[in-house]
Amino acid sequence: MRYVKIPMERIAVLIGKNGEVKEKIESHGIKLEIDSSSGEVKITSDDALKELDGENVVRAIGRGISPDKALLLFNDEYYFELIDMRDWVGKKPSHIKRIAGRIIGKEGKTRKIIEETTGAYISVQGHTVAIVGKIDELQTAKEAIEKLLEGANHNTVYHFLERERRKKKFEKMKFY
Amino acid sequence: MEKWAIAHIFSSHNNTIITITDVTGAETLAKCSGGMVVKADKDEPSPYAAMIAAQRVAEEIKEKGIEGVHIRVRGIGRGRSKSPGPGAQAAIRTLARAGLKIGRIEDVTPLPHDGCREKGGKRGRRV
Repeated sequence: MRYVKIPMERIAVLIGKNGEVKEKIESHGIKLEIDSSSGEVKITSDDALKELDGENVVRAIGRGISPDKALLLFNDEYYFELIDMRDWVGKKPSHIKRIAGRIIGKEGKTRKIIEETTGAYISVQGHTVAIVGKIDELQTAKEAIEKLLEGANHNTVYHFLERERRKKKFEKMKFY
Repeated sequence: MEKWAIAHIFSSHNNTIITITDVTGAETLAKCSGGMVVKADKDEPSPYAAMIAAQRVAEEIKEKGIEGVHIRVRGIGRGRSKSPGPGAQAAIRTLARAGLKIGRIEDVTPLPHDGCREKGGKRGRRV
C-alpha cells in the first residue's frame, strides 16, 4: 500500500475520459483509490513490485507527463526521475519561473532539442522537471538539465547533447 | 516456516551496495556491490552492475534457505540527493526475478528534520 499526492488539476488526467487511463493502469494488476477532494491516491496491489511501478506512473502523471508515456514505466527498461528546481535556486517564484524558462526555451525549443537528441520525455511543471526514458537517455537528459540549472549557456548544452549522441551512435556501431 | 531476510540496497550515483541481513538487521547473510562485479569505475553505479550484484546475493541467500526478502532502499540523503540512484530499481527487479518473494519495499533515505549545516560553506562548493 502506497500513498502519492498529486496536484488537483492532474487528477482529471489520471482518471481520463470515462476512466480510460485509470482502467489502463489497473489492468496491470493494481488498484487505485483516488480522493478527488484532496488529491491523494492510494495504490494497492498484491505484488510489491507492481505497487512500486504504479507509484512511479501516478507520480509521473501528477508531474505532467502524458499518460501514454507514463504507462511506459510498467516496462522494465524505462525509468522515472524527478528534479526539484528548488534545490538549485531556492523557493522564490520568480527564480523558479526564470529557470523553468531556461529549460523549456523559446516556444519549447530547448526542451525539444533535449528530447530529440536523447529520446527521453521531459515535462516541466510547477517547481519540478520530470523525465521518463531508458536509463542512458535519462542520464544524458538529466545531466543536460542540471547544466542548465547551474547556469551553463544553451549553446554549451546543445554541443554536449550532440557529442553524447555521437558517442552513443559510435558505441552502437562497435557491436557489428 | 518460511525464512525471510532484509535486503538493504544503498544506491548512490557512484555505486550500489546490496547487503542482505536477517530480519533483526544485525546478522549479515550476504553482500555485494557494483564495484565488486565490474572493472571500470564508471560502471559501478550502472543498473547492469546492480543487476549482477543482485544476482550474486540472491544465489548466495537461496543456498542459505531464504525464501523472501523485505527491501529497504536508501539514497544518499542528509541534505544531498533524496532519490535513490539508477541501480536501485534494477536491483529490486533482479531480486524478484531470481525467484525470491518480495515483501515490503521501503525507502529509508536519511532525511534531516533540519539538523546539521550542510558541508560546502556559505558560498557553496566552488568548482
